[in-house]
Amino acid sequence: MDPSEVEFLAEKETVKIIPNFSLDKVYLIGGDLGPFNPGLPVSVPVWLALNLKQRQKCRIVPPEWMDADKLEEIRELERKEDTFTPIPSPHYMELTKLLLNHAADNIPKADEIRTLVKDIWDTRIAKLRLSADSFITQQEAHAKLDNLTLMEINTTRTFLLDSLKYMYKLRSNLQPGSGKSQDY
Amino acid sequence: MPCERRPMRYGHSEGHTDVCFDEEGKWIVTCGSDGDVRIWDGLDDDDPKSINVGEKAYALALHRGRLVTAASNNTVQIHTFPDGDPDGILTRFTTNATHVAINSSGSRVAAGSGDFLVKVVEVSDSSKQKTLRGHEAPVLSVALDPKDEFLASSSCDGSVAVWRIDEQARVTSWNVLQKSSDVINSKSLCRLAWQPSGKLLAVPVGLAVQLYERDSWSHVSSLSDDFITKVVNVVIWSPCGKLLAAGSVGGNLAVWDVEAKLCVERQKHEKGYTVCGMAWHPSGVQIAYTDTEGCLGLLDGVCVSSASAQKSLKAPDTKAAKDYDALFDEEDDGLLDEEASESHSPVKKNADAEGDDEDYDMIPTTARPRNRGSFLDDDENSLDTGSVNVDRFSENNFGGSAEPATAPVKSRPAYDGPVPTPRQKAFQPSSTPAHLMHRFMVWNSVGIVRGYNDEHDNAIDVEFHDTAIHHAMHLSNSLNHTMVDLSQEALLLACEGTEELSSKLQCSHFSTWDTCKEWTVDLPKGEDVCAVCLGQGWAAAATSALLVRLFSIGGVQREMFSLPGPVVCMVGHGEQLLIAYHRGTGFDGEQCLGVQLLQFGRRRRQVIHGEPLPLSVKSYLAWMGFTAEGTPCFVDSEGVVRLLNRSLGNAWTPVCHTRENCKSKSDHYWVVGVHESPQQLRCIPCKGSRFPPTLPRPAVAILPFKLPYCHTATEKGQLEEQYWRSVLFHNHYSFLSSSGYEIDEEAQNQASKEQQELLMKMFALACKMEREFRCMELAEMMTQSVVTLAIRYATSSRRMALAQRLGQLALEKANQLQGEVQEQEDDDDEENYGSAKQNSRRSRPSNARAEEEYEEEVEHEEQMETEEPAENRRSLLNPFNKGSRSPERPSPKPVNKEDRVNPFKVSGPGKSSAAPSGQPRVANVLDTMTPSSRKPGALPNPLSKQNKSPVLKPLVPRPKSKTQATLLQMNAPKLSSKKSEKEATVEKLRPVEVPPMPPAQDNCENRKPKTGFQLWLEENRKNILANSPDLEETDVIKEAMGCFRQLSAEDRLRWTERAKGDAAEPKKRKREEEEETKEEDKSEEHENEEASAKKKKPLDTSAKLSAFAFNKS
Repeated sequence: MDPSEVEFLAEKETVKIIPNFSLDKVYLIGGDLGPFNPGLPVSVPVWLALNLKQRQKCRIVPPEWMDADKLEEIRELERKEDTFTPIPSPHYMELTKLLLNHAADNIPKADEIRTLVKDIWDTRIAKLRLSADSFITQQEAHAKLDNLTLMEINTTRTFLLDSLKYMYKLRSNLQPGSGKSQDY
Repeated sequence: MPCERRPMRYGHSEGHTDVCFDEEGKWIVTCGSDGDVRIWDGLDDDDPKSINVGEKAYALALHRGRLVTAASNNTVQIHTFPDGDPDGILTRFTTNATHVAINSSGSRVAAGSGDFLVKVVEVSDSSKQKTLRGHEAPVLSVALDPKDEFLASSSCDGSVAVWRIDEQARVTSWNVLQKSSDVINSKSLCRLAWQPSGKLLAVPVGLAVQLYERDSWSHVSSLSDDFITKVVNVVIWSPCGKLLAAGSVGGNLAVWDVEAKLCVERQKHEKGYTVCGMAWHPSGVQIAYTDTEGCLGLLDGVCVSSASAQKSLKAPDTKAAKDYDALFDEEDDGLLDEEASESHSPVKKNADAEGDDEDYDMIPTTARPRNRGSFLDDDENSLDTGSVNVDRFSENNFGGSAEPATAPVKSRPAYDGPVPTPRQKAFQPSSTPAHLMHRFMVWNSVGIVRGYNDEHDNAIDVEFHDTAIHHAMHLSNSLNHTMVDLSQEALLLACEGTEELSSKLQCSHFSTWDTCKEWTVDLPKGEDVCAVCLGQGWAAAATSALLVRLFSIGGVQREMFSLPGPVVCMVGHGEQLLIAYHRGTGFDGEQCLGVQLLQFGRRRRQVIHGEPLPLSVKSYLAWMGFTAEGTPCFVDSEGVVRLLNRSLGNAWTPVCHTRENCKSKSDHYWVVGVHESPQQLRCIPCKGSRFPPTLPRPAVAILPFKLPYCHTATEKGQLEEQYWRSVLFHNHYSFLSSSGYEIDEEAQNQASKEQQELLMKMFALACKMEREFRCMELAEMMTQSVVTLAIRYATSSRRMALAQRLGQLALEKANQLQGEVQEQEDDDDEENYGSAKQNSRRSRPSNARAEEEYEEEVEHEEQMETEEPAENRRSLLNPFNKGSRSPERPSPKPVNKEDRVNPFKVSGPGKSSAAPSGQPRVANVLDTMTPSSRKPGALPNPLSKQNKSPVLKPLVPRPKSKTQATLLQMNAPKLSSKKSEKEATVEKLRPVEVPPMPPAQDNCENRKPKTGFQLWLEENRKNILANSPDLEETDVIKEAMGCFRQLSAEDRLRWTERAKGDAAEPKKRKREEEEETKEEDKSEEHENEEASAKKKKPLDTSAKLSAFAFNKS
């Protein structure tokens, strides 16, 4: 899956906006949106929020977790724990990127948040690499990873699966021949 | 006489704090558990300088540019002051120092520590240390003797010791304290203090402060007061040594005159937090204190009363005298100039209220301590002007010189009765206090106006919620406008007058079509604007001359009228103006407000004539406004929202208590708007304050309404609350229609349906609880058609007696209805108006259906369901409505009913247009009541049967099982009917959105229900009329119905078929078509049913009725 596809999925998440126009309910296949009252927060999907924001039709209210203090806590926890910690949003990376790129002016401490999320992301990806590494070196048959987000799985999937396949091929070719001594 | 307690401000993070003044008293220096030392340039300093001294700072002392702090790294260190550069470490302990003290010459520093030691260090040479050993627990506090001879220390081991510094020996010690294991466990911080002369040592012991004499070390006296209810933490001496102040764990602050042993000042921390640091300003006027939550507070004007003792320091004395003078001058002015006094006194009084009422949101703009006048001011209010002067003068003399020792007693005058409350200042709703540098000037449904008044800029920002109204504006505020209102049309600004400039009203009418958007009006000299508001096409300003001046939105001066008292708040909406003003003086914390509601427009009248505004106990008005639908509404400082109940003689009903939704006691909701449909209270949650800051931008939250009914935990209470809330929040429909606005009739019908549904649920509940009388009471509130449903329910649950009574009730209701209708018909003059009225009240769907209502019994029923509730409810539940309606009749309404899409009008080809809405009802009633009086042959009308002999007849022959089945089957038909209803709603909405469409649309809509009977009627009308020419229109139809029924089944089927063919024209929209066919199917079905089996009828009817869902369980 392409990262852009994951991002597309993330755009289905809802976010609160404060519109500056008024519009009755909009009936869409995915559900009804609105009604939009100027000045009154309303929940809409991210794609609509960004669209409206780009047209300067609304202000975006950052999600609750998108707060420097909370993210800092999460970062500390993430660094402390060896396993993956639960993340407040399944699309935290994508949402951060989208909202900060398009609506940085509505989000207090945008730069700080960007850094924090990047830190969290780096920590988690490092953990993922580490666990993939130990998975392969120990030649485990299966592993269980909790609390991974779609984007994170996506970054490692292709490479990991391909390399496992190759390794399997190499191993199976070697197997009938001789013992382990010739392995490497 | 109370000193002024200035509001607390946030200084440090939570935890232990300490405070002191520098020698000149210019700076307040605080330290806290965040490890910072903050240097404040007075309490109002928004940007204090911070010096970081460590992880945590436990104590500090300051002397001539040296700042000594005890930090968590177990050191006592010096920083330069005020620069904050580190200047070396004085001494170290094995654990952190708990308290430091510096002597008056600044040469020695004493520090007590958690490792039981007290060290005295020479500042010039830190190697010269003297260690005092002997305490058996952590040292709580140290105090250096002003004569540098002794040192006093208190410790957790319960002892207070006095040491001779040079000999490093204990001179004496008292075991007076409670023992504890550590400083944090200790009940009291036990901060000791030497009198500046060195004569006395003050030791806080429990609830009292004990004084020990120097040299003899004997206990001289102790100071205590009932006001101190918890352990005293800190004591300090005034610079003059006459007064002693103590701060306690519960946040109580008391000041004693030591000689007189009299408590001269009692203050309570505004939040009751523990006071852990206190410092007396070198001039003796102020006391700074900090609490364990990291906040800094200030008592202002403390020493003034001691100055009245005229013995001590010169400085405070003169200062205090000046205060008095200033106060005097002002008040004399006030006396001379009555107008000025009018405008000043409420302000002043408010200022005084701060100290007492914890209303820190309305902080006076003047920092000068003027509390002295509080009692005098109030006095002035109640006395006539002639005597005041003398009175005050004598009082002042009394306070000033005659009896210095009892000066403080003045705060409690001989008069013990109720104390007048200072009058609330005028305010603009949804604005934050005017003294703030950045404030909201107004936040309403149109937009937000912010005012900035700092050194860079004095400006006003206008932002519209809906950018379609106007783009954001930025105005420079050179006139210093303080009052603003914003509407869809204009922005109205007003400023108070100054000495040179008169008070101005400025309007920026941005919706005008010409090029001149601005206009200004200068008020006559001496008259100040107190409150402004905007309505639709007009602006109003209430002034200090007790006048309300009206202007057109373009700037034409219109009417003006006098107010009975000083205005508090004024709001406009549409053509209504709501004014709250002071009716008189309130007592014991109450405000005495009156309210006027005026209506402009074509029919000008005063709706509320200055009746009292029902505020909560000891609260003031916090917000006032109109709901989006135009119902007056206000919020008091207790957070109770009250809504005007127009159907209950303009009484005020509490609809929400915002404080109940708050998490913490100090949280508030700042109301910005109220909507009745949907029921929304729009407000901004404020953490720890009454109003929001401008930054970060606050977000609007929505609170639900909840009427304070009893037993809302039970189902009964809930239903009752829901029912009455629904009734209350739909009152605006009748108001709007009576004042000629278009209303959403669909929503209105929905509402009345909801109410009937709730009634039915309550009925079922009462039935279940075997409360038959209660059932009857509920039934009385129901409409006739719902009563029939209730009868069913009662019968099915085997309550025959109840059913019988209900039957009578239904009969009565029907009679009543009939009577009403006849009344209406009799009155020819009123007919037009009445019909117009009903038109406006009737929903479009029912109008459309009015056509066909003669045809099908089922449709009759539907009609009953939708129309009757609307009519009936009005007459039954809102008895006031009729009263308010009648006086309006003579004047023809400016109803824009021409504009309104009236399907009824378009489609009634053969019908008389005289009383379009009266008639169907007549038919209805006659049908139901006298079905066979004229035409015995035309009886088979199930509804009439049902209603005529209300209960028993149709029920007796019916087998029990069928009734049960009916009740059980209710869900399925309900679903389908709901569905079609929804479709209808969608369709209904369309014409409103797309104005050019409606006629065509309506035609379709109206043609659609033309069924067999109608066609037949059109052809045979003449015949019938020929047969009996004297018949009235309604009777014709009845007759026709009878005849039609007598036709054979095949014939009728043929007509229906024809009708179907007729209707099957090409339709624009598929949905319509669908609905139509559905409709037709239904009608056909009914024909068939009718023809074949009459028995089935009741079942089907009940299915229709079951649109009223009720919990059978």
